[in-house]
Amino acid sequence: MAKIISIHSFRGGTGKSNMAANVATLLAAGGRRIGVVDTDIQSPGIHVLFGMTRETVTRSLNDYLWGRCEIGKAAYDVTSRLDEGLAGRVFLIPSSSNPSDIARVMHDGYDVGLLNQGIRDLMRELELDELIIDTHPGLNEETLLSIAVCEALAIVMRPDQQDYEGTSVAVSVARKLSVPRMVLVVNNTPPVFDFAEVKERVEKTYECEVAAVLPHSEELMVLASQGIFALRYPDHPVTALYRQVAACLTA
Amino acid sequence: MTTAAASILVVDDDPINCMLLTRDLERQGHRVATAEDGVRALEALRAEPFDLVLLDVLMPELDGYETLAQIEGDETLRRVPVIMVSSLEDIESVVRCIEMGAADYLAKPFDPVLLRARINGCLTKKRLHDLELEYIEQVGYVVEAARAVENASFAPESLDPVAERDDALGQLARVFGRMAREVNAREQALKREVQELRIEIDEERAAAQVAEITDTDYFQDLQRRADELRSHSER
Repeated sequence: MAKIISIHSFRGGTGKSNMAANVATLLAAGGRRIGVVDTDIQSPGIHVLFGMTRETVTRSLNDYLWGRCEIGKAAYDVTSRLDEGLAGRVFLIPSSSNPSDIARVMHDGYDVGLLNQGIRDLMRELELDELIIDTHPGLNEETLLSIAVCEALAIVMRPDQQDYEGTSVAVSVARKLSVPRMVLVVNNTPPVFDFAEVKERVEKTYECEVAAVLPHSEELMVLASQGIFALRYPDHPVTALYRQVAACLTA
Repeated sequence: MTTAAASILVVDDDPINCMLLTRDLERQGHRVATAEDGVRALEALRAEPFDLVLLDVLMPELDGYETLAQIEGDETLRRVPVIMVSSLEDIESVVRCIEMGAADYLAKPFDPVLLRARINGCLTKKRLHDLELEYIEQVGYVVEAARAVENASFAPESLDPVAERDDALGQLARVFGRMAREVNAREQALKREVQELRIEIDEERAAAQVAEITDTDYFQDLQRRADELRSHSER
């Protein structure tokens, strides 16, 4: 029984893809077979964290959605790029970062139903334990689908006035879609805040569990863009927080 | 020129000389201690602070030269000025002592007026020197305070001894301390303000946004099918 986990944020730039990549890797380190689908087709990026480039992505989710290939053909086993010794596996289904592909998606859209079918096929074909969807920010049709199909949803937000209202909309919408398990993750929290208080206030405001409050640090941002933080710094306190998020989502 | 009472160590193996000098100095209002040779003189100097030493050149055990050499060779003791005491015919050895670092010399038998003048001169110089050293030390406190402000480890009370001065340095320390306190207080206030996370949500606008999404046919279809979509994955 595979479980679909969606990692969402109402606005971009909250660290959603980093969260998805780290959670996926930590789950794979625990011996699980994990799929990661980058449904942020308008601004793809998670493939970079898994060590892939525009050149090495020869088939993408776009090819599947446009009927050019089976979904399984767009899946890359990135485990060896991460760590040969990883107990489980990570399969990435990247989105195309080719500008003309992105332009086409923005202009024509795609069949959301096909995305759903693709997700099902992937889980069966790759015998996944968990499938993580890195969603597109906002609440467009494909994002709503990834919320409607998931068993666990993490909404990543920053402690920032610009994020509060949108997060509230996302939480309300997810409730209406009866997501069985929903958590909030507060990312990029400035060190001046009392993290325990942030957790308490956010939980109270949204009436939703906060899986973790992660700090903002420039050092962290530099390190985070270089790959999977949790792999490079397994003993770092932030890795422990990623682990906490992973545990919350698979509980 | 008169100087305030000082603490003086008289070193002489001749008890009569010691007594005469002590009496004269005490009349001038100074506190006097005596030592009968160089070894005891060094012990006394290490035991308590003196403002001045009157040191006889010829003594048993440790003579005046050796005692002077040890005083001048000691980082702390060398701050105490030494006036060598000798007979007039010892003038060559007096010259040698002055070259070794002695502040002055006095010839026996003592001329009370000259004795007073030399002692006061020495003490005045010593006090000026002490003030200079204290000034340098206190400038160091201010420099250290500036460094501490940079490292966010400034303790305002560290400047209190400097702030008590009634000169320009004292004023600098007072102004510096006050500014550092004010900046710190402002930072603390800012921190308290920022730490209080305020989440303000325009509920009405948020509800309108939710409705805009959930009122669509697409959403309602999705909502109806959500359970079915999920159970699908459990096969």
